[in-house]
This record gives sequence, C-alpha cells and structure tokens, in this order.
Amino acid sequence: MNKLSILKINNLTKKYYNKTALENVTLDFEPGRIYGLLGPNGSGKTTFMKVVAGLHKQTSGSVLINNEDLSYKTKAYVSFMPTENYLYDSFKVVDILKFYNDMYDDFRYDYAVNLINAVNVSTSYKITNLSSGQTGKLKTVLALSRDADIYMLDEPLNGVDVLARDTILDIITKSHNENKIMIISTHLVSEIEKILDTVIFLSEGVVELFGDAEELRQERQLSVEGLYKEVFKNA
Amino acid sequence: MLNLIKYEFIRKYRLISIVLITALALNLLIMTRGPEGSVLFLTLSPFVLYILYFVDIIKMYSDDLNKKTGYMLFMTPSSGYRIISSKLIAAVIEGFGLLLIYFLFFALNGVYILVSLDETVDFSSIISNINKIFSGSLGYGFNIFHLFMLLLTILILIIAFITTIYTAITIRKSLFSEAKFGGLFSFIIFLLINWIVSTLSNGFYNFLSKVSPYYNSLDNIAGAGRFTPETLMMIFIPIIGFSIIQATALSWISGYLLEKKINL
Repeated sequence: MNKLSILKINNLTKKYYNKTALENVTLDFEPGRIYGLLGPNGSGKTTFMKVVAGLHKQTSGSVLINNEDLSYKTKAYVSFMPTENYLYDSFKVVDILKFYNDMYDDFRYDYAVNLINAVNVSTSYKITNLSSGQTGKLKTVLALSRDADIYMLDEPLNGVDVLARDTILDIITKSHNENKIMIISTHLVSEIEKILDTVIFLSEGVVELFGDAEELRQERQLSVEGLYKEVFKNA
Repeated sequence: MLNLIKYEFIRKYRLISIVLITALALNLLIMTRGPEGSVLFLTLSPFVLYILYFVDIIKMYSDDLNKKTGYMLFMTPSSGYRIISSKLIAAVIEGFGLLLIYFLFFALNGVYILVSLDETVDFSSIISNINKIFSGSLGYGFNIFHLFMLLLTILILIIAFITTIYTAITIRKSLFSEAKFGGLFSFIIFLLINWIVSTLSNGFYNFLSKVSPYYNSLDNIAGAGRFTPETLMMIFIPIIGFSIIQATALSWISGYLLEKKINL
C-alpha cells in the first residue's frame, strides 16, 4: 500500500526573463524515502528546492505540503540546507544554534550541540573562521537537527573533503526515518548513490527519469552513476 | 515577532558599538580643544548619526533581500507582514536609542562647556525647568502636549519615509527581481513612489481646504511665521493622519510582496 504523500508537485513551472528553470514538473514524494535529485549544473535542482522552501515563487503549477499550498506556514514543515554559505558571518556557531532554537519550534538544541561536537566543530568558533568542510558539516547539522517532515539538502558534499563527506553522509542516514522525506541534490552521484532510495534525473528543468534506485539498477543493469552518465551524456 | 526584532539588534550590535566608541573617542579628543570643540561636535554629530542611521537600516534590509544571508530570515516560518513590521519596529527603536545617546553626549558636553567657562552648573535650575515643561507651560500658550505632537509628527514622518524606502527595495526584488542595476532601479522606484505619494497628499490637502475654509488661511499664517498652538495642531493632525495611511499602505504592499512574490 502506498504511503500518504506529504509533498505533491503538480505541473510546477518556474520561468525567469529569458530562461525556463523548471517546466511542468509533476512529482509525488512519500515519507520514509531518500530522494536523489540528480542533474548537471543548471538543470533546475536548486530552483526546485528553493521553490519548495518558499525562497522562490513558482510561475505556475502547485506545490502541496501536508495538503497545504505553499506559504510561510509550510516553511515550518521544511528544513532546507542551501548550498551557498547563508550563515551570518558575524555570528559564532553557538549564536547560529540559538537563532535556530528561537526561530523553529521543532529545533532540537541539545541534539544539535551533540552532533556539532561529534563532527569536531566547536560552538565557540566564528562563522568567518570555519573551513568549507566545517561550514558544510554545520549546515547539515542545522538542517537535520530540526524535527521537520521534509529535509532538503542542496549539494551537501560540495567543497567538502573526503573525510568530511563520510561524516555528512553518516549524519544524513542516521537522521532519516520512515516518517520523513529526505531530498538530496547533487552532481557527485557516485558518492551518494549508496544511500538513495529513489532517483529523479532533472535536465534543463524537465524530469528525465524518476524511479526506485534499486529497480532501475536491476532493470538497466547499471549503477545510478552509470545511468546518470547515460542520461546526461549529451548535456 | 520579538525574536525577529531581537536578532535585528544582535546582528548589528557590534557595528553600533564601534560607532559609539568611535564617537566617544572623537568627542574626548575634540574636547581637548576646549569648549569650541564640544560645540563643533554637538553641531556635526547629529548629521553624521542621522546619515549612519539611514545607511544602516537601508543596508540591513537590502542585505536581507539581496545577499544569501537573507535565507536565514526568509527560511523561518514568519509571514512577510511580520518581517516588515519587525524591521520597522527595530528601525524606530534604533532611532530612539541614537536620539537618547545624542542627549547623553549633549549633557556631557553641556556640563563641560559650562565648567570650562567657569560657570556653575545650576542643577536645581535645570530640574525646575524640566518640571515646568512637564507641568504644562512652555510659554506663548504652548504646552507639553504640543511638544509631544511635534515629536509624534517627526516620528511618523520618519516611519513613512522608511516604509517608502523598504517598499522600493521590495518591489525591485519581487516584481523586477531579474532587473539589472538593482540599486539604481530601487532608487527610481523610490522616486516614483514619492511622486505618487506627493500627488495624493496634494489632493488630500486640497480636499481639506475645500471642506474647511480654516485651511485656506493656514498658508498665510505659515508664511507669516506666526504660529499659535491651534494653527500648529491644524497642521500636525492632517500630516499625522496622511503619514499613518501612507506608512500602513506601503507596509501592507511590502508585506504582501514578501509573502507572495519574492525571489531571493
């Protein structure tokens, strides 16, 4: 039996003046699965996430989260980690944790502090002094320390060294459970394919392929990375 | 809302501290030149503080809409109306804070000037004058209520001015988010809003002069510079009324655009 979809995208289109970033994207997301949003740079992955997170407004189509249209209220259900460094650089790590704690009812402060300590980032560090690996770990911890229904991580492995990548993947898998939707965008497919349940291939704003990762592997006799290369060989 | 206002100040407290420490250091340095230095400081510092204040509140809002750090604010489940209201309240509190600090500088330099001129500081006379103000009379028929109305008018005019700036930035970032030369574009929108507001206010005052002949004579009174408490109130009340409508309408437009049309 199918689980109830908590994120439904219907004919989502996002246009800029001279470019269509997303075109008629229709997707249903089920809780308990980790989705890989895969595609080369400029394929629409970030735009998709920013629309769902309420940072961009769609041109047409609908996005329903827990059966509610997108609004400031649906931001309470979505924990989004942008790929950019969006943290206030005058803050220390502890100030950022307090900010999240004050702004989000579902933020688990102690859980976040434990995770921060586990990944060797001190809460007394200033944001400006963090390396890209430490920033990546901090952003991941912040997003996953909320008890949200939907987690969206935009390129969580970008600019992060190999050891930090393993730590981040470990945090992601440990944070996931059957009630949550996890959407991870990346073009580093080989690093992340082992944790994906479902893959969505986006090309120039259009869904090229959507399906269960294991079924696709068996059906096509290719790894997800192999499929990626096949789908995007001309991109 | 309180948390939004709180973080507005947490984000800028370092900058404000630096400005105040620099101002204090400058003040002490300039005091070494004698009472003339203090007079110079008291004359110039309001202009400098005024400019820094507006640069700060405009930059804070502009950064939230144009820089990636704005995601911190806009990812939170806060409505656009709540965000714009918190920005306005924070701006007003900051303005009051700076005004208070200027009064402290004024008092410090005032005492220094009197002492260096070998004048004795007559605290009992100062207290008696303050008492006089609060007990009612300011002379020429003016009282504390008129002073309050003057300060209220200035406050509401400043709020209306800030909402105009914020609305211009919001329109640029929502309806024209792809437009190039963002700063220049925002300034053009700001001029356009001001033109619309001044056209509407002219219409409003023309309407007032038609329904109340009293307003026809106000221009003559103002021109002659002979204000009475009554004429002053007749000027303040419509200004306050119009500015409240202007600030409310522009805040609503900004809130709506932040809510429905923003592209960060």
